[in-house]
Amino acid sequence: MKKTAIIFYLMFLIPGIGMENPEAIEPVFEQPILLTSAGQNAEVQLVSVLAKRAGLTYTLSKLATAAELADKKTLVLSIGASMKGLGAAGLDIKQEKTRITDLVKAAQDKKIPIFCLHLGGETRRGQLTDELITLLIPLSQAVIVVNSGNQDGIFTRLCEEHDIPLVGVNRVVDALKPIKDAFK
Amino acid sequence: MSKTRQVQKPYSYLFAILLVIISSCATEKSLPHSDDPHKPYNYSARNGMVVAAHPLAAQAGVDVLQHGGNAIDAAVATVFALNAAEPFASGIGGGGFMVIYLAESKKTTVINYREKAPAAASADMFLENGEVNNTWRRNHGLAVAVPGALAGWTYALNKYGTWKLAEVIKEAIRIAEEGFIVSKTFSKINKDEYEKLLLNAGETSCYLNDGFPYEPGDTFRNPDLAAFFVRLAEKGMDDFYRGDTAQKIASAIQAKGGVMTPEDLAEYRVIEHPPLTGSYKDFKLFTTRPPSCGGLFVQQLLNIIENWPVKDWGHNSASYIHHFSEALRIVFADKARYLGDPDFVSVPIEDLISKTYAADIAALIQPDRLLSDYPYGEFDKLADKKENTTHLCVIDKAGNIVSLTQSINMFFGTGIVPENTGFILNNQMSDFSPDPESPNAPGPGKRPVSNMGPLILFRQGKPLLALGSPGGTRIFSSLTQIIINIAEFGMSLDEAIEAPRFFSYSSQGRARNLSVEARIPLDIITALENMGQKITIREDYDKYFGGAQGIMIPAGKKVIFGGADSRRDGQGAGY
Repeated sequence: MKKTAIIFYLMFLIPGIGMENPEAIEPVFEQPILLTSAGQNAEVQLVSVLAKRAGLTYTLSKLATAAELADKKTLVLSIGASMKGLGAAGLDIKQEKTRITDLVKAAQDKKIPIFCLHLGGETRRGQLTDELITLLIPLSQAVIVVNSGNQDGIFTRLCEEHDIPLVGVNRVVDALKPIKDAFK
Repeated sequence: MSKTRQVQKPYSYLFAILLVIISSCATEKSLPHSDDPHKPYNYSARNGMVVAAHPLAAQAGVDVLQHGGNAIDAAVATVFALNAAEPFASGIGGGGFMVIYLAESKKTTVINYREKAPAAASADMFLENGEVNNTWRRNHGLAVAVPGALAGWTYALNKYGTWKLAEVIKEAIRIAEEGFIVSKTFSKINKDEYEKLLLNAGETSCYLNDGFPYEPGDTFRNPDLAAFFVRLAEKGMDDFYRGDTAQKIASAIQAKGGVMTPEDLAEYRVIEHPPLTGSYKDFKLFTTRPPSCGGLFVQQLLNIIENWPVKDWGHNSASYIHHFSEALRIVFADKARYLGDPDFVSVPIEDLISKTYAADIAALIQPDRLLSDYPYGEFDKLADKKENTTHLCVIDKAGNIVSLTQSINMFFGTGIVPENTGFILNNQMSDFSPDPESPNAPGPGKRPVSNMGPLILFRQGKPLLALGSPGGTRIFSSLTQIIINIAEFGMSLDEAIEAPRFFSYSSQGRARNLSVEARIPLDIITALENMGQKITIREDYDKYFGGAQGIMIPAGKKVIFGGADSRRDGQGAGY
């Protein structure tokens, strides 16, 4: 009994383990959305399905540029570097970082908020992805992460440092509600 | 001592002896590894063994061996089980190559069940307004080649096996019905191919979990595949190639823009032929022939390496990696120039694997810098003649061996699933070159060049090593590295498989980056960069470099060893 209680309490203390992060995202984000991948990952398609199921108005553009922000109210980034995706897009990581940096800067100039997701979990972490995480999370206004991708607490630390609401989910499908609730 | 205790003692000894006897008869299943799956581990057994890319499939094969089946029966049981347990890498919707060694006759033969292009295929079929349309080559009905897997498995079983189709398919039905726990490998690949599966298999397909990718720990079931295998067991192969299933396959492909007809399926034939043979020092190599080029280029690479003091250079030293990568670049030039379906184009096989040609290549390569050009070989006269993937090895008690590599090409193939069948159709047509002038351009009935190269290595007339790997264009590079690791660097089988790998190639005469696993030390990488190599560092254990499986039968020993690659979910089982 005592052991069970200790384990139960530890689950709250260790970031990203077991339980959904209780912090919700305030419904301040507006539509229509420009959705793009940061790193040419396959998870951007998951975000697209979630957005569709949430009834959101969005445009999916995997190679989005600043010009596509014209009539958009929120920029949503699916973060994760995929060598396969980069190869298929004919880009190297340097070119992809330049594209994303330019896009993010344009969003900031237009005062368009940025919403980041990392849905690839533990298997979508690595040096290149971590570079994107470190670059983009501090610039965002909300983050949703699959918990297995946050076992080392990188998202927790960055969000706490920059006072950004973070929602952790155990499974991709669990991200549907927080996404839906975050948008007006 | 009391009388009760005196009586108890013999019984406890008897119990202990019985326990030892029982445990020695038991299958050495997926024996407990250490917590680190990458730590080299050689499975061992005395009578028979199966190594495959999924533990359920390996066990399916060993169960057959234990119940009196031979290596061919076990291999076919394993491939059906792999279709259920590793559906993203191979299955009845694909094709492959099988090398069989028959112990009694000491004969080695090859069964070619590579897919074929449909009759409506043409050399320029992937050009749209003069540009290559890669979607057509990968995720579209045009990407599907006529599957050869069932024809190949049935041919092998009927000619060399002893069991019936209905018997060997049983465990695959159970796996598909009951399901299994999804591994990290499965989940990652499922996520990588999510877009394709969404488009072609559909949101309600069993290959997605309520429309989303499977997470590690989820249960994957394929009831349609189970039901299809039950029907197959009753109706046999003819339904697939000439019956109701053939109609469903053609309909599914045409619905996605393809050109395959039921007649294409009815026309499919397996080819059996003698192996390609070669040597490396006192080893003799038996492997597949074109259109499979994996074995051919393993032999060519070994021929080149034979000219160098690789043992003195050391395993994965800068000299070794540099020379090997330059050799690969020249081999790729030969591949682009010459490889095609030998039923349609001349392939100068004997010239490509000649020791003289290899010596010329070895002499051309510079020890401290890259070549400025990578020419293909020019041969006097061409003889008149005319690839994501899985590998398994089996050995039975009699010493029969199967080394088999098969594929649906890219993970999850096209993602197209014929109605109510549960299996995925290949995208093997993308193994053809989209260049209409290439010897490997598509054409009616042609088999695309394959990088697969299942092989058996012999020493002093006895089989020593069955080996193979998936990995696309990296296959023959990885297999050669494993062989050299054993032959020159004294590694055990699984040490050789787990050792860090590298790869490079050339294209249109230019060197491409040298890809290395991140475990290659920094000082080696620096030395290579100083030679002019441009390095791409990949993961520590990257499935980009394949997922090899092997069985070793050391001479004079009564133990069989198995090695399975931790880059995928490979495991062994023996008894």
